[in-house]
Amino acid sequence: MRAEEVLRALTASLGAQLRSYELRPREVGVRRKWTVEEVWAEVEREALPKAVAALKALGPLHISVISGHDAGETIELLYHLAVGFGTEGGEVVVTLRTFLPKSDPTAPSLCAVLPGAEITEREKIEFLGVDFLGIPRRDHVFLPDGFPVHPWRRDEPELARFLHRMVEWEKGHERKEPQG
Amino acid sequence: MSARNPKDNDPVLPAVEERVVERELVGAEAALGETFAVPIGPIHPALKEPIRLTFRVRGERIVGVDIRTGFAHRGIEFMGMRQGRNLIQILYLAERICGICSVSHPIAFTQAVERAAGIEVPPRAQYIRVIISELERIHSHLLWAGVAAHELGFDTLLHLTWRVREKVLDVLEELSGNRIDYAIPIFGGVRRDIAPEQYPKVWEAIRYYRGLLEQLLDAFLRDPTVEARTRGVGVLEPKEAEELCAVGPTARASGLRKDVRQDRPYLAYPDFQVRAITPEDYGLTPVGDVYDKIVVRLLEVEQSLNIIEQALENMPEGEITSFPKIPALLAYLKKAEGEGLGWHEAPRGEVIHYVRLAAGEESLLVWKVKAPTYSNLLSWYPMFEDQEIADIPIIAASIDPCICCMDRVYLVRGGKEEVWPKEKLLKLSWEKTRRMQR
Repeated sequence: MRAEEVLRALTASLGAQLRSYELRPREVGVRRKWTVEEVWAEVEREALPKAVAALKALGPLHISVISGHDAGETIELLYHLAVGFGTEGGEVVVTLRTFLPKSDPTAPSLCAVLPGAEITEREKIEFLGVDFLGIPRRDHVFLPDGFPVHPWRRDEPELARFLHRMVEWEKGHERKEPQG
Repeated sequence: MSARNPKDNDPVLPAVEERVVERELVGAEAALGETFAVPIGPIHPALKEPIRLTFRVRGERIVGVDIRTGFAHRGIEFMGMRQGRNLIQILYLAERICGICSVSHPIAFTQAVERAAGIEVPPRAQYIRVIISELERIHSHLLWAGVAAHELGFDTLLHLTWRVREKVLDVLEELSGNRIDYAIPIFGGVRRDIAPEQYPKVWEAIRYYRGLLEQLLDAFLRDPTVEARTRGVGVLEPKEAEELCAVGPTARASGLRKDVRQDRPYLAYPDFQVRAITPEDYGLTPVGDVYDKIVVRLLEVEQSLNIIEQALENMPEGEITSFPKIPALLAYLKKAEGEGLGWHEAPRGEVIHYVRLAAGEESLLVWKVKAPTYSNLLSWYPMFEDQEIADIPIIAASIDPCICCMDRVYLVRGGKEEVWPKEKLLKLSWEKTRRMQR
């Protein structure tokens, strides 16, 4: 699998919905050199399932994780994927970047195309307050049900107070420890 | 309950206290209604870490499972991103994500930062990172093999495996100063060199394990009891493994040739031409059951020995870090800007770290960590389906989820809850083994 093939497939299926892309090859190895190819592409959020389906048609597809970032006006999601495992150096690492407006922080779920995306999508629901449309299970994976804040959001007015309460609780907890 | 287990006076185990508690069902359990559900956990279930598994059972057969994690979520990414730590301090955090793969996370994390900041790693440092991570794989796989034997009620094998595991821990202590948390990788290289007088100790360990491999394969793979308890148990079909994006030995046991060291090599790994191991390499057709997972892990011990041997023979000379002075490193990192991915094949599978650095900031702007169990969690759903309650411990352990001791099990029917301590569930597993031996 080559990065050019991946780019061709993405361009063919997305057209203008593929906003930009970049190739970032990396040289590895000491005595036996190898180049691992990375594709970083920005896509429109509506095009995510289409992009993933196009990648899946190229070869076995793996989703590592979705990274998320509160970028002020928008929430940035980065889908770290890899296509074509099974042979030496055969995998191309693909990162799809998309921005969701904070007024409507929703993205289509990839679970129908790639069931392995479920845990990482559910994690983004609780940590960033993003909603994934069509996800089969949406209950919390890591945080308790009804957790008051989305910890990775930088505009959470409650977060500082919540952390302060936890610190106070721990202090109180320490005082109750038996002495000697 | 005692009527179910007439052997409660077994001298091997102390008598277990049982209690019945009335409580209202909530969440996933309530959705199960009047069906018979077996929730396990969250405190110390079959697993070292707290996790809650709610099983829906028909008789002795499992028909559904609900998984709930997060009871030990420490917010490490938040601490790295938002609490003003510098990158060296965050490296300490990364090292403490997992005690068993305590070099895997730093290797992925340092690579991500090096990629973002454009730092080169000297060849010798790359080799040292490879050696330490392969030693870690040996210790982790032997640890797992011992736990698996224990879950089956085969404690002789547990003690044998853990006794031989001590050797690799001694070597790691010799090379790094610690049995775990080796603190070897740092941005731009490694913190300690491997001195010429330390080589013989590593060679001795390699010879020791080579001499033992056949015995270990014999004890695990040619034992009729182990085979009877693990063949056809906890099967993960290749198609499911691919769809659910399983990683590491869990995926390879299902016949997928999926190994980050092979698929997208990093550091010095292209030098060693790593090939993903599946049960086919042992002359078996992959089934994806617990037995195959044992096969893959034991063969990977041999593979790691080969890699360490090659690395020692071809170790390049030279520097071990491109930043010998920490203040210079920190000053460089503060100016750096960019984003990067770092990955590593940990003993349990793919670890991946994403970082973004902002110029003028000592801390990270974005940090995402992905551990192998995160990817393998979904594999539990098909693996538990239509299995017996007595097989829960070994199936749960088969993905090597950093989880091991079954503390207690709840049996819930209607509004009644019966608490089963871990000894009881393990005993169920052990009794099944004894039954099969007769």
